[in-house]
Amino acid sequence: MFNLVLKDILLQKKTLMILLPILFFYLFTGASTSYVAIIFCIAIIMNAFALDEKSSINLLLNSLPYTRKEIVSSKYIGAIVFIILVLLTIFIGNWIIHGEIIQWKQLLFTISIVAIFVSLSFPFSYLLKSQYLMIAMGVSFVIYMIIANKFIPDINDRIREAVQTVLSFSNSQQYLLLFLPVVILYSFSWMLSIRIYSKKVF
Amino acid sequence: MQIIISNHSKEPIYEQIYAQIKKHILTNELQAGQFLPSMRQLAKDLDVSVITTKRAYEELEKNGFIFSVVGKGSFVSEQNNELIRERKMKVIEEQLVAAIQNSKEIGIELTELKELLTMLYKEEI
Amino acid sequence: MENVIELQHVNKAFNGFQMKDLSISVKKGFVTGFIGGNGVGKSTTIKMIMNLLQPDSGTISLFGMDYKKHEKEIKQRIGFVFDDNIFYENITLAEMKQMIKPAYKNWDDAIFKQYVDMFELPLKKNIKTFSKGMMMKASLTMALSHHAELIIMDEPTSGLDPIFRRELLDILHDLMQNGERTIFFSTHITTDLDRIADYITFIHNGQHIFTKEYYKIEEEYAIVKGETNLLDRDTEKEFIAIRKSNHGFEALTTNKKRTEDIFGETVIIEKPTLEDIMLYTKKGRENDVQSRS
Repeated sequence: MFNLVLKDILLQKKTLMILLPILFFYLFTGASTSYVAIIFCIAIIMNAFALDEKSSINLLLNSLPYTRKEIVSSKYIGAIVFIILVLLTIFIGNWIIHGEIIQWKQLLFTISIVAIFVSLSFPFSYLLKSQYLMIAMGVSFVIYMIIANKFIPDINDRIREAVQTVLSFSNSQQYLLLFLPVVILYSFSWMLSIRIYSKKVF
Repeated sequence: MQIIISNHSKEPIYEQIYAQIKKHILTNELQAGQFLPSMRQLAKDLDVSVITTKRAYEELEKNGFIFSVVGKGSFVSEQNNELIRERKMKVIEEQLVAAIQNSKEIGIELTELKELLTMLYKEEI
Repeated sequence: MENVIELQHVNKAFNGFQMKDLSISVKKGFVTGFIGGNGVGKSTTIKMIMNLLQPDSGTISLFGMDYKKHEKEIKQRIGFVFDDNIFYENITLAEMKQMIKPAYKNWDDAIFKQYVDMFELPLKKNIKTFSKGMMMKASLTMALSHHAELIIMDEPTSGLDPIFRRELLDILHDLMQNGERTIFFSTHITTDLDRIADYITFIHNGQHIFTKEYYKIEEEYAIVKGETNLLDRDTEKEFIAIRKSNHGFEALTTNKKRTEDIFGETVIIEKPTLEDIMLYTKKGRENDVQSRS
């Protein structure tokens, strides 16, 4: 199964080569590290996912001595590996360029956001296709806008406030407690994806 | 050992192989105890399927022309050779007698019959 | 004789058509050619054998094991070649090998190199640039580089030039030398089978028509040609299907000996090709359906 993760990294090698320097460049401009990290993680993870979506590639992977469980699991493990890779780069980059060490709370926040995104988008993409993900996101954005306009006009402020509250948690235990639901969501999504993928036909 | 196969013959390929190996054995071109190529090797050489050569070998074995030793391959049998020749000779004799009788019935001379035989013999390969 | 692939009473409804009570066995150490027209279930059957699809009912076992418990062990022992390109396109063959190699315990770089050299495959070029023939050679190279005991191929010869098709058959002959290997492949170029297939498995409309030794087909089946006035209600029963024209008839029999006895010298009896058998079987089934409705 780790061969499959390794395969994803090999496949992303060229993309990583291009993306990581860009990442460094962003760090120079002093953009929000969390924001940049989230975008890069999602871009790389979804790129790896999309490459394996073609039915011919599914034919290959399923004909090799791997089980479907392993094929799905490799994607979830791979996502974690990519997150670590990006965060490590940002961490080191930030340290070299700005001479500051990113707070572990900020890292945890980034991981949580990416993990939530992966948890939602992987089962969705296994069920349909990742290309519909953009449409789904567009639709949810419209719904979000409607809600924001019609029902809860200050939703943006509320979210910002919530994020601020989360970030300002001083107690580490509180932080870890918030991280727990993310872990549960991720595991649940993992199981769900295995179920969906097991029933797929190519 | 030469084996020539026709894909367009009415005769099945395994029979062609069978007949030609049998001929090689009866003409002593293949001698008793001599090693035959494995059926898989022969299939490859003749560009035919394994089951075809397998069938030919099975027929040869059934009729006592060859025998196989597990793990070693197939060999030309020895004891039967003389017997087969003798048996064949007997068949030939009988057939010739019938031909002679028929000739006499319609008054064909020996020389004429000989000529006919020579001609037919040369025509057949 | 040992069976490497065994399908028993397999039913599967898929893409609007049905596999009905399919029972097929593939013998160890031999080449089995898998024939049938387009859309009769060849690819579906191969996918079920590869566990890419699961049957609705019935059992499938390979090497005497079933996929539920032994999926990885089974697939370790299979080499597969598909009709389509199933590799990533934007990488080189060397990179693709790097990804496939770790999946197999018995991967053999020496064999891989041997085939790459033999097929003159470029290791450093993007797979995207490969022609259909090169693609096929690359697939075959991957399939043969891990000492697979069973080689499964879906239409391996389609899209190949006749010269390479002959070369491919030579390679298959070589593979069969030790008697431990089994090859199962589907094709619609039936002339390829003359040279290599030991058994023929024929399916039509999701049903198994027969699995026979190739030479038995030639012994049992025959094309019969004769004058139309020889046909009547009784003699027509001898045939699977009949094609009549103003100048005579042509028909397929499954019992050459009996047909010879019945018609004697009045008809011409010829060796059928596999295409004849496929064509007449299809025609016969259609007539059955018509006469029943």
